[in-house]
Amino acid sequence: MDYVQQRVAQAVSNQEAASNAFLTPLNALLLCVLLYTAYAFLLRPGPSSAAAAQVPKEPPAIVFRTFTPRTLLPYNGENGGPVYLAVRGRVFDVSRGRNFYGPGGPYANFAGRDASRGLACGSFDESMLTKDLDGPLDPLDDLGPDQLEALKGWEQRFEEKYLVVGRLVAVGEEGKGEEKAE
Amino acid sequence: MGFFDNLLLRLDESVTGLFGQWNLWTTVIATVFAGFLTYQIATRQEPDTHPFLLARQAEGSPVRQPGESAVYRSQGAPHGMPLNSGLNVKEPGASKWARGRDGDLRDVWRQAVAGVQEDGPTKGATGRLLTVLGIDKVVEHRLDDVTRQINLIGQHILDQGGNRVAIYLPNSVELIATLFACSFYNLTAVILPFDQSDDAVISMLRRSAADTVVTAPGSFPFDLVVKNYPSLRQLIWVVDEGSKHLDWNEVPQGTGGSVNVSTWQDIVNDSPVDAGKALPPLEGQKEPRDVTVFWVSKPGQPEEMVRFTSANFVSAIAAQLFAIPTAQRMGPSDVFLPADSLANTHTLVLTLAALFSNASVAFNSVAAQAHDLAVATRGVSPTILVATPAALLKTHKETSARLDASLLGRALHRLQTRQLTQNGVMPAAGDGLLSGAYAAAVGRPAGSKLRLILTAERVGADTPRLSSAVLSDLRAFTGARIMYALTAAKVAGAATQTAFYDYRVVADGDGVHFGPPLTSTEILLRDMGQWKTTDESRAGEIIVRGPCVAGNQAALGVAGRIRDDNTLAYA
Repeated sequence: MDYVQQRVAQAVSNQEAASNAFLTPLNALLLCVLLYTAYAFLLRPGPSSAAAAQVPKEPPAIVFRTFTPRTLLPYNGENGGPVYLAVRGRVFDVSRGRNFYGPGGPYANFAGRDASRGLACGSFDESMLTKDLDGPLDPLDDLGPDQLEALKGWEQRFEEKYLVVGRLVAVGEEGKGEEKAE
Repeated sequence: MGFFDNLLLRLDESVTGLFGQWNLWTTVIATVFAGFLTYQIATRQEPDTHPFLLARQAEGSPVRQPGESAVYRSQGAPHGMPLNSGLNVKEPGASKWARGRDGDLRDVWRQAVAGVQEDGPTKGATGRLLTVLGIDKVVEHRLDDVTRQINLIGQHILDQGGNRVAIYLPNSVELIATLFACSFYNLTAVILPFDQSDDAVISMLRRSAADTVVTAPGSFPFDLVVKNYPSLRQLIWVVDEGSKHLDWNEVPQGTGGSVNVSTWQDIVNDSPVDAGKALPPLEGQKEPRDVTVFWVSKPGQPEEMVRFTSANFVSAIAAQLFAIPTAQRMGPSDVFLPADSLANTHTLVLTLAALFSNASVAFNSVAAQAHDLAVATRGVSPTILVATPAALLKTHKETSARLDASLLGRALHRLQTRQLTQNGVMPAAGDGLLSGAYAAAVGRPAGSKLRLILTAERVGADTPRLSSAVLSDLRAFTGARIMYALTAAKVAGAATQTAFYDYRVVADGDGVHFGPPLTSTEILLRDMGQWKTTDESRAGEIIVRGPCVAGNQAALGVAGRIRDDNTLAYA
């Protein structure tokens, strides 16, 4: 209570001390605040210039390549790389199905290989894959009509889900296909 | 606790002491501060479009062929969907959701005459056709009058055995009417660029194998043409008011006995008043014919002749209609003025789009050559303007010089530019003390309702380029949005065009960019010389594909690059 009385007495005695000058410390402070606000709204190059809409750059497009069974082999998902597999001469990027086709997955045998026969016969056996990587591609001549039907169905699902990133030709035939495509 | 008591006492005393200095000036400053803050917060506007939409304006295909870049398409026509190929023309009674047909040029005129089809306050409204003569005389043409002219002229040319009709006229109603007459009566139209040298005219006639010419006296070298181009069979003079009393049917001695000469007015007036009121019916109409245009590049180089099918034009019109957001579409309340030659497909496509949207269209025959916006907009106050880059640059230079002279002008211009680039908003026009002062400082005519300016860079024609800084200044000067397109010989309409709400000023290279592709085109870049596509940068020769390109694919012969926001720029 003493404190309060003391302060009130002090305040009363100090009242006449207010001056009418423009540049008192309070005025100077408020003026600085006003000028800074005006600068911030009117003059400062805001964050909306160049830096603001920082959408991350698009990943570069994948180049369409001509693969042979040898060059396709490394793309089986090892070391976090992309997973490719080939169906009837077209190479699909199945990295999004890494759980199935990547290393350790149930269909890992197909990764980096020509999977046409395996898909047609519905088997993930080693025997479905072409043994000789340098030889001609599997011609799929001996497949029955329902196996071909199954293969077509698989191919359609692949087209809908995955991206075509290249074509598969036998070793030594890369040039021939390109001439035809010209 | 004596220390903290003292501390608190001293703190209390100093704060009271500081605010004890409150005097009149403090009140004034505090009021100004509160007022400024309130004004800024109350007048803050959201950007016209989301900045993320401007940061990625086109979509690239995920796979690219070696030696080429990815294929880029507009966001309105993503990969996997077909490109915009038609006008979606529906019969008058059909439901709004029915799938329409692609249509052709005849449907453009039918729609212009029929009026707005959508239910709403403007149902049935049609646009007006105006011609600006001289300084302030504006003549209106009634739509059924023009329909009658289309029918009579088309029938006359057909009766006389015409097949390929060359049109050598300045921007005028007669040019459009002849074009529609050719499309309704199955004639091939050939549009010649106006005001060319005599040799150029003869060479173009020869290359296009035209047998009929519709032209205006005074600019067409009749004697020379008859002597050097014997295949000419028919000539129709479009005579203006002042010279109507002369006899234009008389052919001078010794010239052109084989040419059948008549005048537009005679053909129209000699038929009974009731003839020609109805357009040929929709059922049983034949396949639309092609339109041939000539692309003028640099002076001294021969013009390139390009044949466009009706489908090319219709696809280009549809893409231009899509490029403007629904809320800002052209409508019966708009006045469209082409201040660029109608022989350019870009201007022609935009004019047809305006007619299809039932906007009023004004023609000024001297606007295209004048390269001056003030001359072009005399007599009529357009809301949508098609201008040449040269005219825009001239306006920019004059207005900048005028602004630099006054300090207030420069400050206001800086504020306007800040609104545009930082806040992404068009500065509010019209009311307000500041906008009035600014409009006076830049010399904007009072009552100017201009809201959109369309302009085009012509590949290979040495048109001056407009950097995004110049475009932003022009937006502030005119109070209108500007769309800058890239046009080429073999592309009907435009290949790429900047977005309607894109007000950004870009700083890479020379600051010039042409925006993303339209919904009727897709762009790719093929490796050419030193410009290649790698994982970091995409450059090469610009290739345009789509239903609006003659022959479905065209190489433009210039090097371009795709910027980070997937817009096209020159390399």
